[in-house]
Amino acid sequence: MKSYVAQRLAVALLTLLGMSLVIFLLLRLAPGDIVDILFSAAGYVDPQDKKAIMQELGMNRPYWVQYLEWIRGIVTGDLGKSYRYELPTWQLIRPLLPVTLELAALAIVIAVLLGVPTGVVSAIRQDSGLDYVLRVLSLAGLSMPSFWLAMVIILSLVAWFDWIPPMTYVGPSQNLRLHLLQFLLPALAVGYRSSALIMRITRSALLEVLREDYIRTARAKGQTPGLVVWRHALKNAMLPVVTVIGIEFAFMIGGLVVTETVFNLPGVARFLVQAIQWRDYPMVQNLVMFISIVVILSNLAVDLLYGVLDPRVRYGH
Amino acid sequence: MDRLQRLALLGCAATLLVALLAPVSPAHAAKAGGILTLTQREDLPQGFAIHETATISSVWPAMPCFNNLVLFDPLKPNETPDTIVGELADKWSWQDGYRNLVLFLRRDVKWHDGTPFTSKDVKYTFDMLREAPEAPQKLRLNPRKDWYANVEAVEAADAYTVIFRLKRPQPSLLMMLASGYTPVYAAHVPSASYRTGCMGTGPFKLKEWRKGEFVEYVKNPDYFVKGRPYLDGLKYIVINEPGTRIAALQTGQVEVSFPSEVSKTNAEQLKAAVPKLVITPYSINTNDNIVMNMKKPPFDNPKVRLAVSHAIDRRALIQAVHQGGAVPGTALAPRPYGAWGLLEPDLQGLPGQGKATDEKAKAKKLLGEAGFSPQNPLRVEMVTRNLSIYVTLASFVVNELKQIGIEATLKQIETAQWHPMGTRGEFQIAANLTGIGPDDPDANFYENFGCGSPRNYSFYCSEQVMSQIDKQSQELDPKKRLTIVQAIQKKLEEDVARPIIDWRLDYFTVWPYVKNFIPHQSMYNFGRVQEVWLDK
Repeated sequence: MKSYVAQRLAVALLTLLGMSLVIFLLLRLAPGDIVDILFSAAGYVDPQDKKAIMQELGMNRPYWVQYLEWIRGIVTGDLGKSYRYELPTWQLIRPLLPVTLELAALAIVIAVLLGVPTGVVSAIRQDSGLDYVLRVLSLAGLSMPSFWLAMVIILSLVAWFDWIPPMTYVGPSQNLRLHLLQFLLPALAVGYRSSALIMRITRSALLEVLREDYIRTARAKGQTPGLVVWRHALKNAMLPVVTVIGIEFAFMIGGLVVTETVFNLPGVARFLVQAIQWRDYPMVQNLVMFISIVVILSNLAVDLLYGVLDPRVRYGH
Repeated sequence: MDRLQRLALLGCAATLLVALLAPVSPAHAAKAGGILTLTQREDLPQGFAIHETATISSVWPAMPCFNNLVLFDPLKPNETPDTIVGELADKWSWQDGYRNLVLFLRRDVKWHDGTPFTSKDVKYTFDMLREAPEAPQKLRLNPRKDWYANVEAVEAADAYTVIFRLKRPQPSLLMMLASGYTPVYAAHVPSASYRTGCMGTGPFKLKEWRKGEFVEYVKNPDYFVKGRPYLDGLKYIVINEPGTRIAALQTGQVEVSFPSEVSKTNAEQLKAAVPKLVITPYSINTNDNIVMNMKKPPFDNPKVRLAVSHAIDRRALIQAVHQGGAVPGTALAPRPYGAWGLLEPDLQGLPGQGKATDEKAKAKKLLGEAGFSPQNPLRVEMVTRNLSIYVTLASFVVNELKQIGIEATLKQIETAQWHPMGTRGEFQIAANLTGIGPDDPDANFYENFGCGSPRNYSFYCSEQVMSQIDKQSQELDPKKRLTIVQAIQKKLEEDVARPIIDWRLDYFTVWPYVKNFIPHQSMYNFGRVQEVWLDK
């Protein structure tokens, strides 16, 4: 197990290194840079001034020097300064992390709480009226973009309650009720889509398991239907579901852009888009690396969970 | 009537007299206290460094921190030389036939860190702005250097007297000094520090700038205008999503709309939803225009340029693109939204202002004369910024051009590339928006139509027009100046220097308890918030 984790972490490091190279190069290949944006905000361009600013920001150095300096910074804990805000990037990124992590976690909890039970019910009552209703609901969730749902939620709140969640971040220690409201609604918007996916995967995986011989044996031995489903079938059907949950969680860290924007939550994804628009290389590079780390770690966590869910899965062989 | 009654009557009369003679001021009704919540469409692009930007996203949230030498009266919507009031300068005087502007500074002003404000700060700021050789610092970006091209020297005669010495008379200098774009910086802090913080003399002190989230101010207790500001603080919340901004305004989470934010359609929806909202239409001093690159074919041919200008039905565009929330005009905003623009009757006869069918017929004829026909159509690439307000304008224009046989394809350009592309002239034709600080001919003409100006994207250059621009700039008689300015505007349209399509209106929206927040002729000049109070 330990050697498996060590091996996976070594691969993760290589993946991160490759990722860092890709993001570094892609950013430089995109047209325009921070200096162009600054001039755009000033409404004119002066080639001499542009040169001076590029020098000030260190952007005139060869790419390989800039890349190595960034990597050296990551290793030594110095993530560099944001071009736009002229502040250490860690200082800017740090407050964003809890917002996005909390939102993603809450969305996943909602997705699981909605998706797994409905998937189970749908599988048990296959081809019944309830199954059709739940499948239509899940199809609606998959077809409905979360940003659209987020906008509909905001507009409905305005129309019916003349109220929307707070527009600035409310910490849990400031006002827990408002904090929960602020996060629950966007989490619902995102979680509904994920729950639809989880529901469909749960349903199909469970249907497959329910046709297995050992389930028939359990039933023949007189175990109650509930016990058969929840103890014997569901645990074995959970492998693909856990995979989907892991992927969805990782996706949410970087994919909450529109939801964070619509609900005005100061999270990683919203800030990342702003940083890309401003060609704030240090911010983008470090945020992408953070997202990559989350993706890698959540995949690792999912792989480790396989062993817990299915004792047949062995590591390191 | 006994003595006592006579005394009582006398007392009543005296009280009445005092009441009648007492100065009537809105301040009497004003209430102090409260936090005003405003909104921002994006985070501050360059922090509080107003001198390094040309966007409302900077000047709007940064203005409360600063003071100018002079400012357009916050309580008067019109911006003219007559509505300029003193801020850091309490008196000023033009001397030597408008060649020297002498400003007498207030002696009771302190920077937010307690350092006394003196003429040294004024000299420092304006030497830096005009890039004088003796300037102790250089701005990283200096978009309004041209405003001070006529300033020969800035002298600090003593600690509280400053003299602007001009190369030639220029009464308009005062208008530019009164713009929200012209705060005085502190000489004792580096100019670069304004990108991350704010050292001002203004009515509000910066409390916190939480990046990407909000900017918060608290009342400056040592503000030199006694009794001001009324508010205890301000909070500018960054809301990137337009729909959410409107929802926040409608539900009262923000109490004031962001300038240029509320279209006519939005205003109607808001009014229907919350009838008590106070909505004031005003010009944001921004026009829609078409820029044709005169250095490149086919727009080096005046007939082709003229054909394009004739082809665009301004009034149809105002209805289709702005739902009526704009007005036709030329290089300067027309009355009542501006002071200098041509009025409706004066527009008649100018390209694109007549009956649509006649104008399109003229356009087709001109194209034919330039050698283009249905068999040999003119094919061009129209560029515009990849922002919806640009794209809707450009799409309409493309359709108009199609009707006269010009096949235009639309290419959207990212913000990062827009100004570099314009300055380098790497385009044929562009649908553009131009915003102007103060409603003043000097601020507009030199910047957008002056030979060699970096923001003259069409590369239009006419010696005749330049001499007229210089002439109006020096004209001391307002009526004569207006006549010259209007003649210049006609000439610019006839030369198709940069055909103006319309002047955009904004519908400034506040909750009814927000008092004294009065939109001006330009959105860049009324964000001080010194006089605003809450009637809650």
